[in-house]
Amino acid sequence: MAEIGHGGKEIVERILEPAEAAEKIKGLKAIPIRSQIANEVIDISYGWFTPLQGFMNKADADGVCRSTQLADGTVWSIPIIFDMTEAQISDYGIKEGDTVLLTYMDNPMAIFEIEDIWSYDMEDMCQCIFGTADQKHPGVLRTCGYKEKFLGGKITLVNRPKINPPYDAYFIPPLEMRKKFKEKGWQASVVHQTRNVPHTGHEWLMKGAWAQAYGGLPIEKPIVGVLVNAIIGAKRKGDYIDEAIILCQDELRKSGYFADYNHMTSLTFWDMRYAGPKEAIFHACIRVNLGLTHHMYGRDHAGVGDYYDPYDAHRLLQSIPKEKLNITPVYSMNWLYCPHCGEITNEGLCGHKKEWQKFSGTLIRSIVMDGVKPPRLIFRPEVFDLVMECAEKYGFGSPFVTDKYLENRTPVFSIEPLSA
Amino acid sequence: MAEEKYPINLWVNEERYDKLQKANLADMCAEKLAGMKVIQVFANDAQKDKILKVFPTAKFDTATTRSIELLPKKVKDAIFDKVIEKQNPDILDDFLSAY
Ligand SMILES: [Zn+2]
Repeated sequence: MAEIGHGGKEIVERILEPAEAAEKIKGLKAIPIRSQIANEVIDISYGWFTPLQGFMNKADADGVCRSTQLADGTVWSIPIIFDMTEAQISDYGIKEGDTVLLTYMDNPMAIFEIEDIWSYDMEDMCQCIFGTADQKHPGVLRTCGYKEKFLGGKITLVNRPKINPPYDAYFIPPLEMRKKFKEKGWQASVVHQTRNVPHTGHEWLMKGAWAQAYGGLPIEKPIVGVLVNAIIGAKRKGDYIDEAIILCQDELRKSGYFADYNHMTSLTFWDMRYAGPKEAIFHACIRVNLGLTHHMYGRDHAGVGDYYDPYDAHRLLQSIPKEKLNITPVYSMNWLYCPHCGEITNEGLCGHKKEWQKFSGTLIRSIVMDGVKPPRLIFRPEVFDLVMECAEKYGFGSPFVTDKYLENRTPVFSIEPLSA
Repeated sequence: MAEEKYPINLWVNEERYDKLQKANLADMCAEKLAGMKVIQVFANDAQKDKILKVFPTAKFDTATTRSIELLPKKVKDAIFDKVIEKQNPDILDDFLSAY
């Protein structure tokens, strides 16, 4: 049976088997790509980006900028574009109608059928997507750093990425994810978007969202689950290392704060654009493809600095009808510690406002940096121990990203020689 | 309205607690977040701006706690030692004069 993804389009993996791949790439010009593009090639090929079948042509990118939709009217909010300099295009002798081979780590990765070569006013694009052209905005900086020309056209993966441990267990593409949801019997599933090691504030965000997603469903057997979907991509110094994020999220289930029948952890490859409301829509699209019914949104989802009002994303989501974006947003109020209640509670629930002690991921990182183990009500001891283990095993002594980590870490995935 | 003051949280681990006890300053600790001991050193606007400039990893948590976070451990150790030395958490001007 066809799996229907975002925009009402069938999810189709665009992946060739090795023998066919070896045949198809013969004689193609090889063009190396950087990690951002490699991530997006995977997202396109496995269906995370359904209905996109490749990098955008000008009509789609322009539609995204002008009206948050593709040329065919499907809701889409972030341009997925392949950039190149004019000189590179001429050196490679690329023209519309050509088919080339994209390589990563010096090995064949994907076939790219170039349909459109185009350019765009990038300051205008930034204004449309980020609401600003300020170069201090990390998404603007990235977007304005693109080369001056863009190539649009279909992508077909010729070589499946080898996902390296400890990430391999968490690479669950859309079709496989939908199978898992069926096996688990989940009739509703809510996604937690994260780039963090969880503290109990996050844990309760998920637990609260689980209850919201349960709504009026029958409770005789467990039929609602939480999917942690960690965004794995470009890192900034001081972030938690990726290994700690993915393993610690899963630790909440392994240590019983959740259970097999209501919690799962997975990853999506994506370099965050910090586009706030527009990124919130984009996250919804990829989670529709993963088969989720509900999406958690806290305050300032995917925001940065003070570019966005904390509830801009919620308002934009509310303006899009369900038939155009088939996922139900679950808005979450903040969880905090109340010494009077002696527990983690919600700012919408507890009346001891004067006594509230709010905490953030940043505060917890500070506590960990001071060498202090927070109490279990704030940070689970199993998670703390695992963060420290990850620091030793993967982080060169630090649970946070350092220059040394960036230089020496094991890549999340590798593209190996094509074995036909 | 009084000028806003921004805390730097010096979380008290065993090593720091020993030092405080030796200096008879253990009473200076407050309890936060389900029993964690902390000493808060407060910065005014000018001090906050200087700290964020001198220590680029530091972050002012605008949204949740309105505190200055992510100072390197050795910087926080130095601030902590200054508190012990002066027997008082009001040491930031003194501490920042070296930068
Ligand atoms: Zn309370």
